[in-house]
Amino acid sequence: MLSRIKHFFDTFLLTELVRGMSMTGRYFFARKITVQYPEERAPQSPRFRGLHAQRRYPNGEERCIACKLCEAVCPALAIQIESEQRADGTRRTTRYDIDLTKCIFCGFCEEACPVDAIVETRVYEYHGEKRGDLYYTKEMLLAVGDKYEAQIAQDRAADARYR
Amino acid sequence: MLSSDALAQIDTEIAKYPAEQKQSAVMAALRIAQTEKGWLSTETIEFVADYLGMPAIAVYEVATFYNMYDLKPVGRHKVTVCTNLPCRLQGADRVAEHLQAKLGIGFGETTADGRYTLVEGECMGACGDGPLCLHNNHKMHTHLTPESVDKLLDELK
Amino acid sequence: MPHIEIDGKTIEVAPGATLMDAANQAGIFIPHFCYHKKLSIAANCRMCLVEVEKAPKPLPACATPVTEGMKVRTHSAKAVAAQKGVMELLLINHPLDCPICDQGGECQLQDLAVGYGASASRYAEPKRVVREKDLGPLIATDMTRCIHCSRCVRFSQEIAGRMELGMVHRGEHTEVMPFLEQQMHSELSGNVIDLCPVGALTSKPFRYSARTWELSRRKSISPHDGLGANLQLHTKDNRVYRVVPQENEAINECWLADRDRYAYEALNSEERLTRPMVRDGDKWIEVDWQKALNQAAGALRVLRDTHGGNALAALASPHQTLEELHLLQKLMRGLGSGRIEHRLGQADFSGDAKRQGVTWLGMPIAELNQLQRVLLIGATLRKEQPLIAQRLRQAVKFGAQLNVLHAADDDLYCRVANKLIVKPSAWVNALAQVAKALQEAGASLPAELAGQLNDITVSDSARAIAASLNTGERKALLLGAVAQNHPAAAQLHQLVAAIAAACGAKLGFLSPAANSVGAQLVGVQSGPVALDAKGYLLLGVEPELDAHNGPELLKALQAAECVVALTAFKGRVMDYADVVLPIAPFSETAGSFVNMEGRLQSFHAAVTPQGEARPAWKVLRVLGNLFNLAGFEQNSAEEVRQEALPQGEAGIAARLDNAIHGVALALQPPGAGIERLGEVPIYQLDPLVRRAPALQQTQDARDAACAWASGALIQRLNLIDGEHVRVRQAGAEAVLRLCRDDRLPDDVLRVAAAHPLTAGLAGRFGAISVEAV
Repeated sequence: MLSRIKHFFDTFLLTELVRGMSMTGRYFFARKITVQYPEERAPQSPRFRGLHAQRRYPNGEERCIACKLCEAVCPALAIQIESEQRADGTRRTTRYDIDLTKCIFCGFCEEACPVDAIVETRVYEYHGEKRGDLYYTKEMLLAVGDKYEAQIAQDRAADARYR
Repeated sequence: MLSSDALAQIDTEIAKYPAEQKQSAVMAALRIAQTEKGWLSTETIEFVADYLGMPAIAVYEVATFYNMYDLKPVGRHKVTVCTNLPCRLQGADRVAEHLQAKLGIGFGETTADGRYTLVEGECMGACGDGPLCLHNNHKMHTHLTPESVDKLLDELK
Repeated sequence: MPHIEIDGKTIEVAPGATLMDAANQAGIFIPHFCYHKKLSIAANCRMCLVEVEKAPKPLPACATPVTEGMKVRTHSAKAVAAQKGVMELLLINHPLDCPICDQGGECQLQDLAVGYGASASRYAEPKRVVREKDLGPLIATDMTRCIHCSRCVRFSQEIAGRMELGMVHRGEHTEVMPFLEQQMHSELSGNVIDLCPVGALTSKPFRYSARTWELSRRKSISPHDGLGANLQLHTKDNRVYRVVPQENEAINECWLADRDRYAYEALNSEERLTRPMVRDGDKWIEVDWQKALNQAAGALRVLRDTHGGNALAALASPHQTLEELHLLQKLMRGLGSGRIEHRLGQADFSGDAKRQGVTWLGMPIAELNQLQRVLLIGATLRKEQPLIAQRLRQAVKFGAQLNVLHAADDDLYCRVANKLIVKPSAWVNALAQVAKALQEAGASLPAELAGQLNDITVSDSARAIAASLNTGERKALLLGAVAQNHPAAAQLHQLVAAIAAACGAKLGFLSPAANSVGAQLVGVQSGPVALDAKGYLLLGVEPELDAHNGPELLKALQAAECVVALTAFKGRVMDYADVVLPIAPFSETAGSFVNMEGRLQSFHAAVTPQGEARPAWKVLRVLGNLFNLAGFEQNSAEEVRQEALPQGEAGIAARLDNAIHGVALALQPPGAGIERLGEVPIYQLDPLVRRAPALQQTQDARDAACAWASGALIQRLNLIDGEHVRVRQAGAEAVLRLCRDDRLPDDVLRVAAAHPLTAGLAGRFGAISVEAV
């Protein structure tokens, strides 16, 4: 009986509308938290897991030793590696491909890597116009690494004490 | 390769063991060969192996295991100084340092004139008489002091 | 039988067993590195320490014999502390390079370190580094990883027969190395890779190419020698990456000869044929299967219709599967031709009609270890049958007397009781001497033979061999490949059969090829290799190498009107064939081999055929269809096998028989002059082995490219060893490097057969001359 009376008054006093508008009004005057991408950027953790990169040692030698642990640990089977003995006797990859359309950015490859060769950078603004564009080969990954090495090294250093 | 005299000695050693176990004489044969040749070259080791009907590597194993076998040419006088703890407590390190300084060589080295080789030795089982050294694997000199070492070196011309 | 208690379980064990045996029997795992069931006990890794009640210290389980009432605890606090301590010690100098180590993932040290080691190392001092050793083209070394278990050393001593590795220096400085930078030349050397519990010894051709967890394991059978070793093909992405042994105690135990282990490289060779081709005048054009098969069938049909069925002949390799050989003979017989042969290397077919059945080993392979008396006739055993040589070596170790008749006094790496080393043409006479010596000793020979031996003078060695064969039990006379390809093979067979009967020995044939027995079973043998056919069908053969007289057969093939070659490899097939049909090697097809003990072993394809290559049984079936022959409707290799051997293995046993009757002996004294000893070298046995790059770099392969003579012969002929010489045989010649081997008689020149450098020479035996270039 009581609820019927309440409903009767609600119907022509528009209380829902007032409540709703008050919520709108509150946010209208509150401090804005929307990030105006691309003019503004959200803050990133040093552990951010974005586009993959292959790193090099300061002397220019690629770090990857083709141990294939990343390939083995990858839950999405996104990594393809082929290896051989290079002329100088070291173990090296002849192929290192990551299919970014398969990748789930879990970061296991980075965790598994014994030489910090495969890393995930802060870069998330990459794109492909065709499906194949997101199939990253060794050369592409090394190029990413070369481009962002300073940031990568800084992030690894920041996170080193927790590893 | 070896003189008939040395071969006769090796034969005497071989005769101590059953005919099918000639290889038991390997240590004696290496000793005899070393006495004659001064040191054990790979050719000497191969010869001993052939003579005893053993694989060369098996003889090489023995020759490298015992450090009284010399696998490099040594001087006329090989002086092996014990530097283990009991000798050292009795002053072996001073004797060793003196020897090294006097001869101008370190352990495992031979003087330029090919006269002396200095070797760092392990316990020779005469700790009560230390410090001590062994001359050419055979003669032991005990209770060494820097002075007695000088005298010894003078005797070993 | 002592009773012991191990981890609370009371079990009864054989007297003299070790604690390790007892634990295995009870199903309890004790960690170990140096212990290996096939090797002697060294007890130098100390990993298998266990606690034994009343013993003051932990005892090594591998070297402690059981005694009545022993109470053993393998997982007590004391045992675990000991194992942990040993593990820490072993890891002190072991590098942490698992990510680049080929053993990673199948490493005993890695596994046991996880199970028995501490989680972190307390060792912060520098680790020792050991210089690499060059062990040859087959084995890669990372000696820093060595934990000195000495398995490889004991293997080379005990199984391979020659100590090629040793533990040099001592304590911290101990290193495993060969003497004086020598390489490992054993034909069983690859086994040290399996034995090595760490990554110190790994496979060189496989190095860094794949990780163990990526590889699929497919069981297969070795297509090379007659042993039929069981293999595992490790594959990834439709490619065979390596071969390891599949344990089979009755055949290869846990070993594999290098030939079986490394021949897989040829499967991915550049020489593989991947598309059918037909000859168009002087040109070769790649065509599709339909066209190639039609052309082949058309050409053969014309020949059959104009000249009759026997104008066609088929030559098959005994390394092909039973199914393929069966369909080949069915096709040929369907076309009205009875000329189908697999024994291309054989010279003497006169015994064919006199033999009673399919020639085989005469006993199970495992019985070779129990033999007490053996006479090897014309067997270059270590190169022909590396693992049979290993079994006989074990027999000799337990007191067997090994006697040898051969033209080369090769070191078998075991004690040889008596030997007759004479040139090949004197072998019949030599065997007759042994027979006569037995007769003089009171044994009875068949009447037909006894009368022919009157003029024989018995030499001392022959008498000694006869005396050896006359004593003991469990005897065998084994005919090797050289004897089987000998110009007087039938006489040798007849004499050996008589000797075997006279002394109560078994007679065995060491089948040279994986399917020699199978080829006989399905009837791929019809006598001498046809040289006058108008049309040839070749299955997996390389005539210039496989034939006893290569140039002669090559000429016949070139003169023929049509040659259809089913082959996996290019080789010289363009020189003589008209249609080339690419077929799949053993790894890419299902099939079976019947090994020398008559065991039928089937296998499946491990990978799919390369390019457009197809399994040969399918090709032959389609050819049968094209000729409208009945009975070519099989849908699987199993169906073909069922048809070829309806009763399976049971049906095989009844047909195996080495008996022979009625071969007349020609006992004229051997002629003067130098004779050729032409063996098939170990790494030229079949088309696969010939194309395995690593095997071709071995010492054995290099040796095969030389002409070998004794020092006395070289001197007599005024030649210089190491220089090139020209050898002439029946009008043909070859230029080879002359090498010295004083183990050869002074009238024998050892010139390998089935070798590209000697392919121009006519016949594997007979008079040969040699002169300076």
